[in-house]
Amino acid sequence: MTSYILKRIGSALITLLIVAATTFFLMNAVPGSPFITEKSTPEMIARAEAKYGLDKPLVVQFVNYIKGYFVGDMGVSLKMQQDTSVAEIIFNQNKLALSSRIGAYALLLAVVLGIPFGCIAAYNRGNWIDGLLRVVTTIGVAIPGFVVATTLLVLFGVQLQWLPVRSGSMETASAFILPVFALSFYPSCYIAKLTRASMLDAINQDYIRTARAKGLKTGKVIFKHALRNSLIPVITYLGPLTAYIITGGFVVETTFSIPGLGKYFISSILNRDYPIIMGTTVVLAALIIIMNLLVDIAYKLVDPRISLSKGDV
Amino acid sequence: MERKMPKYNIFHTKVDDILAENQFSSADFESATAEEKESMVEMHKSVSYWRDAVRRFKNNSVSMVALAVVILLTLFAFVGPYLIPYSYEEQFRGSMKLGPFEYSEGELRAKEALGDADVLFSTELMPGSLTSLKKGDYAFSYRGDWYQFSLNRTLRSGFLMYNGSKAEPLYTVKIDDFIAGGDYETTSVAFTVVKDKPVDPDVTIISMRSSVFPHVFGTDSAGRDIMSRTMYGARVSLLIGVIASLIVLVIGSIYGAISGFLGGKTDFIMMRIVELIYSVPDVLIVLLLQVVLQIPLQNWFDSSSLPIVRALSSLGVGIVSIFITFALLYWVGMARIIRGQVLMLKKQEYVTAAMVLGASNSRIIRKHLLPNSIGQLVVTTCLQIPSAIFLESFLSFLGLGISAPMSSLGSMCSDAIDTITVYPYRLLFPAIILSLLVLSLNLVGDGMRDALDPRLKK
Repeated sequence: MTSYILKRIGSALITLLIVAATTFFLMNAVPGSPFITEKSTPEMIARAEAKYGLDKPLVVQFVNYIKGYFVGDMGVSLKMQQDTSVAEIIFNQNKLALSSRIGAYALLLAVVLGIPFGCIAAYNRGNWIDGLLRVVTTIGVAIPGFVVATTLLVLFGVQLQWLPVRSGSMETASAFILPVFALSFYPSCYIAKLTRASMLDAINQDYIRTARAKGLKTGKVIFKHALRNSLIPVITYLGPLTAYIITGGFVVETTFSIPGLGKYFISSILNRDYPIIMGTTVVLAALIIIMNLLVDIAYKLVDPRISLSKGDV
Repeated sequence: MERKMPKYNIFHTKVDDILAENQFSSADFESATAEEKESMVEMHKSVSYWRDAVRRFKNNSVSMVALAVVILLTLFAFVGPYLIPYSYEEQFRGSMKLGPFEYSEGELRAKEALGDADVLFSTELMPGSLTSLKKGDYAFSYRGDWYQFSLNRTLRSGFLMYNGSKAEPLYTVKIDDFIAGGDYETTSVAFTVVKDKPVDPDVTIISMRSSVFPHVFGTDSAGRDIMSRTMYGARVSLLIGVIASLIVLVIGSIYGAISGFLGGKTDFIMMRIVELIYSVPDVLIVLLLQVVLQIPLQNWFDSSSLPIVRALSSLGVGIVSIFITFALLYWVGMARIIRGQVLMLKKQEYVTAAMVLGASNSRIIRKHLLPNSIGQLVVTTCLQIPSAIFLESFLSFLGLGISAPMSSLGSMCSDAIDTITVYPYRLLFPAIILSLLVLSLNLVGDGMRDALDPRLKK
């Protein structure tokens, strides 16, 4: 087990390094200096490049960049908030905190809605409740996230005016309702589908029949025997779910104009502020990779049937 | 592995249901007659793989409905633009911010003129051509006759009405010229009937229309017809979906087949690369690529004169960088599936036979392994189409990907958000079309999976 975890951590670190390298070299492959404006002279550009260390060879720059991460130095913003450190922008300006709050609520809501609805659908297999849930979840996993977000915005914000529309301030709890629900719609539908399928698979196993034959109550059969085994696919989905929550957050924050990291990241892309793009990409990628790592380890812990010695799944 | 699902629901079991399932009548135990035995020899005619798949697909009513929706949307996207007189990039200066089926002042005047008994025929000029409608000679044809008139001043935007009343001594062309501030000015121009189409190159030929076509979905703030933009956006989406999945098909199947077929160290290294790409958060890299590829692609388009580059540059930088990201990142799923298939197939006797006969590796892959994985190839490619459309609309929605004046369903949705409190319908149409498209393509893909590869059926 320890060797598996170590191996998994090692490969996660390699992935992270590759993401950092890809990001760094891609950003540097863009022709033209970020300092070129209409007014700048060659001397001014050279001075600015020297100031930010951009005149050194690429490999030296990369090594310096990676070194910087270990001491919390991720470079400084070139355009969006000139000369403010990227680490400061990401971690201290309440952006990451706001985004992760929305993300965490959405993740929780997706699990809390998805699993019970999946169970309800499996329990009612074949009747109208199952049919209805199947229609909803099929639509839910197929339509793009921004359609869901904008539809909710039009419906509850504009038409019914129950909830605030794009006020930009996230002071009140009601401002969280629409974004969190929009963000969790796709994953809750996906989890419901997943739970239903694995639940149906589980309840046709022999041990369920044995449990039923022993005369156990339906509730006990479902929760104690069927559900526990059918949650394994849901656990493996938590990794991709985190990735979805992060990228879906870009859309939701843009739609509801929430001043979180996602919206800031997109505008840094549109403004071509390279250090911010690089820093945010690496931080978000690290988040996703760590989550995948945790999920992989949890998966092996939860299901003893999976062989631990054989590394790959 | 696969279990037969009992017909009754295990949680709502009634004894009668179980008994009913196991009910046999005495007829079930009678010995078979000679004819019955004969009929068992060939019960079914031998059915080819494809025919069997088509039959299974046809039995799936959800997929059939979805297929019909896909066909309708494809017609909407590819035939629709030829049926409506507006193009996706034209800006109608007089008709900005119209709701669905609303008419601008000028269009109302033209409609009125159509209802007028004196006016046999009215038409509108494309504002694009009208802005270039400078002083000069013009011609148009109506019911086989050619008419010619000359303009002595430049017109900006408006409607050209042909008053063909026989009562008047002189035929006139009335021109409603849209002047800034929302007013219209009517000018009459005399025209003459000519026998043939003018051959003089200075004479500009104007196409005429017999009715004012409504803006079915309304217009946007720049005065562009939303329906034609939606059609164009759907076309862009479908094209991207199909081309991106073909890219994935080619790269993924070749890579997967080579990896699975050669096995050993090659397979190990190739699969580590796949795993690596798999573990990289794709959307983040896609966003980066969108930023990075913009300038080099533009330079490449500007410098090269190869026909293929010309074709690509007409698609635009946004679309091409989406293709590149698919070529770089999204083939890994396909490669894994095909590798698995090839690993299974290469142990078959016919592959051994081909090897013994001295067939080269590439021949075995081309002639034996890939054709036998056709079901997987088709299904995975089909399911790739909606995911490509998904990604494109996601990027365009965020302001990357496709940019104005080209339209994409994603960028239309994001444009609509700024005015969502006033014009919610601007969001409605592209969002509905996009959702229908992705949903029905997914359902068709699922149906194809069930039809072509029944083992995968959930």
